[in-house]
Amino acid sequence: MSRMGIICFAASYGIALLLEVSRLWFRSRLRGVVILGCTAAGLIAHTLFLGYRAFTVTGSPLSSEMDWCLLAAWVLVALYLMLLFAYPRTPFGLVLLPLALGLIGAAGWWASREPYPQAPASRVWGLIHAGAILAATVAVLVAFAAGVIYLFQAYRLKQRRGPLGGFWVPSLEWLDRMNSRSLGAAVVALAVGLFAGVMLNWINYQQHVPPLPWSDPLVMTTLAMFWWLLVALVLAVWYRPADEVRKVAFITIISFIFLLTALAALLLMNTSHGRNRNPWQEQSGQAPQVSVEPYVWQESSLRGGICLWGPAGHGRSRPPFVAQLRT
Amino acid sequence: MVEAAHPSSPNSEPRSAMNLLLVGCSHHQTPLAVRERLAFNEAQTVAALSAMRHCWPQTEAVLLSTCNRVELYLGGEKETLPSAEEAGAFLAQFHGLPHNLIQPYLYVYEDEEAVRHLFAVASSLDSMVLGEAQILGQVKDAYQLSAAQGAAGPIFHATFQTAVKAARRVATETTLHQRRVSIPSVAVADFAQQVFDRFDDKQVLVIGAGEMAEETLKYLQDQGARQITVVNRSAERAEELARRWQGRAATWEELVEAAASADVIISTTGAQQPILTAERFAQVTAQRRRWPVFILDLAVPRDVEPTVGDQPGVYLFSIDDLKAVCDANRRQRDAELPLAMRIVEEEAAQFMADLHHKASAPLIIQLRQGWQKPKEEELQRLFNKLPQLDDHARAEIRQAFDRLVNKLLHLPLDTLRNHARQGVPHSLMDALAKLFRLKE
Repeated sequence: MSRMGIICFAASYGIALLLEVSRLWFRSRLRGVVILGCTAAGLIAHTLFLGYRAFTVTGSPLSSEMDWCLLAAWVLVALYLMLLFAYPRTPFGLVLLPLALGLIGAAGWWASREPYPQAPASRVWGLIHAGAILAATVAVLVAFAAGVIYLFQAYRLKQRRGPLGGFWVPSLEWLDRMNSRSLGAAVVALAVGLFAGVMLNWINYQQHVPPLPWSDPLVMTTLAMFWWLLVALVLAVWYRPADEVRKVAFITIISFIFLLTALAALLLMNTSHGRNRNPWQEQSGQAPQVSVEPYVWQESSLRGGICLWGPAGHGRSRPPFVAQLRT
Repeated sequence: MVEAAHPSSPNSEPRSAMNLLLVGCSHHQTPLAVRERLAFNEAQTVAALSAMRHCWPQTEAVLLSTCNRVELYLGGEKETLPSAEEAGAFLAQFHGLPHNLIQPYLYVYEDEEAVRHLFAVASSLDSMVLGEAQILGQVKDAYQLSAAQGAAGPIFHATFQTAVKAARRVATETTLHQRRVSIPSVAVADFAQQVFDRFDDKQVLVIGAGEMAEETLKYLQDQGARQITVVNRSAERAEELARRWQGRAATWEELVEAAASADVIISTTGAQQPILTAERFAQVTAQRRRWPVFILDLAVPRDVEPTVGDQPGVYLFSIDDLKAVCDANRRQRDAELPLAMRIVEEEAAQFMADLHHKASAPLIIQLRQGWQKPKEEELQRLFNKLPQLDDHARAEIRQAFDRLVNKLLHLPLDTLRNHARQGVPHSLMDALAKLFRLKE
């Protein structure tokens, strides 16, 4: 079901992408309608798939890496559909659809992973954390798309090239605005996401679950990306020399590389983000035979993805284990 | 002025064998001196339409008058339609011109040729600047004015509606309208609008007083540009231009400051040496806080050193850059012309086929009515013989008879429609009338 469902809407987006590419070679009256139809059909299938997983498989959206990626791709495609209505002659799909397809591909990679462990005490912070990181990811991807188109447009204008026949590229001013706003949104969302992550770590610390260490590759790349984006934003707001816009476009492209690194850390490196971690042992310093009991989803309960990170090195006395821990 | 004669309205149903006549002149063969004497303003158009309705009460009329053409479209039955000479004489007489002055320049098109010409005009395929957008609006205005005066009726309603449809098809299925070919329009639409999204918050600096700058400024003002600064070596000239363009004047000494605060710079001086040298622009850069800057160097020789364009955030276009794009656009437009013409041909052929088919409409109605009577008689006879039939069975039988009549009529009517593509199918209509004893 998972594989077939993913292939179904990914194929719709793939066809829409191929049609966007075909704008470079020929004109057609029908193409716009077919692109719109394919994207809308894919988005409906995508929505149904997410809904199906949320209500029958995982219990809620954002409860696994797979769902997280699929939801990020869904937001990107929904944004693309809106842009398609507002600017039918601008091929935003050339940049946005490959990003969405990349996220869907990553979701397929993670399809076999277990959902995040859940704890009722941290579900609100978990949702805030996962939602904010998702928003930041989408904002970085949109900023990246705007940055790439900006550089392309700036290059064309420097070469004094006339308009392209098949489509209309947005103005530098529009792209700059889109880039800066996405950058600002990414910084705010990432700050919220990081704060929620720290809170989750603190809650886990209270519950004797070892926090996610600062040295975790995912934490390090996410923090690096946050500082990088913050510096870029400050530069964009306070300092605006002639080439600044182009620099900001480059910065967003590097931010995208940070994002890819973070995803690669999740995918390939040994990160304990979102995985079960055994609680500390009371006296001996050795881990007891305990594990965090996976939270069983009930119809009335809310669940969210949990990111656990916080200050490393805890040696002081801890409160007794909570009821959900079992020996 | 033409004398009024028999007031009447042409607003009646289209009749058989409608004819169209077009008499006019355009920029192709008629010198401006003649065109301007023949041109009609709105008040004159109203007066002319009113006079035509008195002269030719059974004729529909639309008068299209633009800078590049004056065309009189007339439509009606052959017997009531004036001749081309009468229409030409009307145009001359209205302006008090001798007929022989305009006669050599007038062209005449009839029926399908007139339709094809109108469609080509509306699609801007006959314009001086191929693909210019204003003509469609002018065609619509001419029709609406005529309709408001009661001079345009069902014939021209259908004709001009289809002309607008053909023009829209040309606009969407070809890139003819997207390819600009004048330097100011290319400068603004193809380049300035690629840099800036809006112009109402942009500072525009005009250096010099070239004609091209004025035209470019008009395009920018159409896009919303309001903050205009004029710098000229002559302070009086700068003041005068600033007044005309609703901007402010700055002295020559303030050039660097004005350039530093400008988003768009248009330079068209007659100077023999560059005004914005790399050194001077370095002073501008030192003061700038707004980026990027769009510079149009429309002067020959150039006012801006080309190395200025190499600096980051500076988009510099010379007249040669713009001309190259204009030429490329013109070539691409020419390449699109056959496709546009094909669309016009298709629409004109379809329109004429529909028009010809309409001529046979009264005959078709009679034919259908003629077949209804025996059908009803036979049904009645059958129902009388079979009184046991219930309502459902009767309805079924009635439906079967209806289908039979439709199937029997389908082939002759389809043949009639097909023949209408070549013109009004007079021979078939005669045959039908004789075979079924219909009134023509």
